[in-house]
Amino acid sequence: MELLQIIPQFLISGLTFGAIYGLVALGFVTIARASQIINFAQGEFVMLGGMVTFFFIKSVHLPYLLSAFLAIGVVIGLGFLLHLLVIYPLRKASLPILLLATLGASLFLSSSSALFFGTLPKALPPFSGKDLLEIGGVSFSAQSLFVLIATFFVLFLLYILSHHTHLGKAMEASSTDPLGADLCGISRHLMTFLAFGVSSGIGALAGIFITPLFYVSYHSGTLIGLKGFISAVIGGWGKYGGAILGGFILGVAESLSIAFIPAGYKDGVAFLILLLILYFRPKGILGSPFIDSRRW
Amino acid sequence: MALLRIQGVTKNYEGVKALDQVSFEVKQGTIKGLMGPNGAGKSTLFHLISGIEKPDLGKIFFKEKEITFLKPHEISLMGIGRTFQTLQVWGNMTVVENVMTAMHSRLRGGVLSSGLWLPWIKREEDRAMKEAKEILEFLGLFGRWKWFAGQLSYSEQRILEIGRALGTRPELLLLDEPAAGLTYGEAKDLSERLDQLRKKGITILLIEHHMGMMMEIADEIAVLSNGILIAEGTPEQIRTHPRVIEAYLKRGREGCSESEN
Amino acid sequence: MVEQIHKDFRKRDILYSLALWLLSLILPDPQLHYRSEYRLRWRDLFYLLAILLLPLLFSDPHFHHLMVLAGIHGILALGLTLFLGYAGQISLGHAAFFGIGTYTTAILTTRHGWPPFLAFWASGIVASIFAYLIGKPLLKLKGYFLALATLGFGEIFLVLIKESASFTGGVIGIFGIPWFSIAGFVFDTYLKQYYLVWIVLIGLVLFTKNLIRSKVGRAYMAVATTEDATSSVGIHVSRIKLEAFMVGAFYAGLAGSLFACVMSTATPETFSLNLSVLIVMMVILGGMGNLYGPIVGALILTWLIDTLAQYQDYSLPLYGVILILLLIFFPDGLGTRLRVRLIYLISYWGRKKRREKVNL
Repeated sequence: MELLQIIPQFLISGLTFGAIYGLVALGFVTIARASQIINFAQGEFVMLGGMVTFFFIKSVHLPYLLSAFLAIGVVIGLGFLLHLLVIYPLRKASLPILLLATLGASLFLSSSSALFFGTLPKALPPFSGKDLLEIGGVSFSAQSLFVLIATFFVLFLLYILSHHTHLGKAMEASSTDPLGADLCGISRHLMTFLAFGVSSGIGALAGIFITPLFYVSYHSGTLIGLKGFISAVIGGWGKYGGAILGGFILGVAESLSIAFIPAGYKDGVAFLILLLILYFRPKGILGSPFIDSRRW
Repeated sequence: MALLRIQGVTKNYEGVKALDQVSFEVKQGTIKGLMGPNGAGKSTLFHLISGIEKPDLGKIFFKEKEITFLKPHEISLMGIGRTFQTLQVWGNMTVVENVMTAMHSRLRGGVLSSGLWLPWIKREEDRAMKEAKEILEFLGLFGRWKWFAGQLSYSEQRILEIGRALGTRPELLLLDEPAAGLTYGEAKDLSERLDQLRKKGITILLIEHHMGMMMEIADEIAVLSNGILIAEGTPEQIRTHPRVIEAYLKRGREGCSESEN
Repeated sequence: MVEQIHKDFRKRDILYSLALWLLSLILPDPQLHYRSEYRLRWRDLFYLLAILLLPLLFSDPHFHHLMVLAGIHGILALGLTLFLGYAGQISLGHAAFFGIGTYTTAILTTRHGWPPFLAFWASGIVASIFAYLIGKPLLKLKGYFLALATLGFGEIFLVLIKESASFTGGVIGIFGIPWFSIAGFVFDTYLKQYYLVWIVLIGLVLFTKNLIRSKVGRAYMAVATTEDATSSVGIHVSRIKLEAFMVGAFYAGLAGSLFACVMSTATPETFSLNLSVLIVMMVILGGMGNLYGPIVGALILTWLIDTLAQYQDYSLPLYGVILILLLIFFPDGLGTRLRVRLIYLISYWGRKKRREKVNL
């Protein structure tokens, strides 16, 4: 096949995956903007979003939309629980301990999802039907378009939340100066708690979008989570726009890489990009508001 | 002879001019005082000299060699020791280890020889320990040599920072407010020790708000205000310098109006 | 009567302090930082005897095998504690250096016919060369970003190992690595391997102990606290970090080589992120900046994983929960907390008895 013909196809799929990585990255950024914590269990929320929706549709026989909403609710509840049971008790712990605790939580979530939902990979039916759209000889599923729109919608919502509401300002304050925020009557723990809710909700949403596109199994969460984090770093750690931009860059780079190098190396590409960006510009493309502050 | 020469140094922080065309010299074997209201750029100047930050314009010479763009550890190896305004002692090490760590570059031995504890490592360690204890004795911290540095009081930690800087055997010592938080008696002791250091041939550049101490021991004083060098001279000249008096008083008024905004 | 009570106190006090002294002989010092007067103590002799006699007391081969694994994990954790515990930098890619060591030994012994003893040293050196190449650019990062970058390195290592099948055997791995042997003496039983691994570990502990009581260890600890002050006394901060990273990788390479010779296989799945997390966990559990702690952590976690394995499907969720609980309840190391609790308990019993007496 001609390379020129495939490339637009790869671009489309890259953009779709990029949008999903961007969504996952938004989850990381939401937490980082409220507490300067990195939640390595974020990828598991994505996986659980898909898994729980699948469970509600296939085992409880609920309609698609209802099960999706239920799944988001369940995952948000899990996010709150994660904060209450793991992050809050470790509020005074040092960085490696927090890091390991979220990794432990990720291990727990993925392995117990294998217990509950089985180890078989699962795929949801696409909610836009199976027909393909075609523009200029490039065909793509309507699902991809849907994912793109939803990603930008979430970005818009988060932008409104952080720049035009009191809550967003309070979250940012508790991130940049926790003690100062406490003294102003903003509870940093409450802010972190809320951020975990928002971020797990976004993760679940990403999971619901991703499950129709490819098979999700209990162990795929970790990798998706890491790639989301990498997207956030590429675009500029701590910026919503950067997260989406990084997601697109990573998605396109990954799917284009398939055209040039063996498919087995695909997962390595993301980490290679990560190492390059960390070496040459750790601030990310759009620059990061956090990179010079305490923990980074 | 000028040991340290600062030539037209300028430093900007996001539009704020922290230092503007500052030039002065520090003569060998003297104590030079650096005065100025808070935020005048004194600590910034120290960061520039010790290489932690780089100036936007201007050059810094040490022993007639340019050190402007050297890395902090290279500058330290050339013979400039410093203390920090915000305390930075190694709290998880004992007092004597703090001073011994400062001798790192003068001790022989790498990973392999240290790990195998080859004979000369023991000799080097003993030598370092002896020298560190001498420094502590000189500073009056000898009674605390086995304590963890984090257990020391605030003023003792300040003295320990000087001890650490002395551990590098500096020719020029940059002291950033060494007497802050010290009682009257301790400050008196400190200025006596600084005098002794001068007699040993160590040049000192000193930031201090403690006027009495400054006037007593400094050979020369430079005054910074809003990043500009406004006066330089002997303590007597500075005491009566009209611009110095104006800077301190005007600064006070400005401070009030700023806080109202 | 008052005299009588007084005498009782004396007797008790002596008993309690005796108990405390005995405890201090056995339990590791919670803050085994460099002390100028630090030298080998009686408790070290106790550990040595315990290590030498333990496999003779319990002759179960499974136990021997477990202890071999624990020893290898101990070497890994000891290497990481220099980097994480003393120099204060985090690495989530330590398993990759372990893997590099294993594959170096595997390839050198099976393809090029090197004797295992030479391959052992070569593994360590190759691992630290890789650490140099990786650490040189990456160690300017701090905190989470360093963790992420090292994690990325680990993942790339896994992908490379899996994909370059002609060189590393791909997903299947390399089989038939010869037993470790020195001058014709072959370590072919679990008992022999136990002594091999633990003697290497003891040697490395002594090496590390010397390291941290010399200027090198002081520089590591200085870097961990404040980098500005460290560079202000003429220490090249990034070189010190790189050095600690390379020493840690060297240990990991040695551990990998032993692992290859003990298991006689090298498969990529062994060196995943889970192993890196496990090693960091050992160091945290043992207490940061503590020499014996990581080894105790290695023993406990190796045993824990082996015990959990019998619960099959439930083992991983349980492992995750236990990991989190350990982190919540022992954030500064098992030894530190337990020792403080024990001392507190002993003195509490003492005080309680006294109070009762006085109330009478």
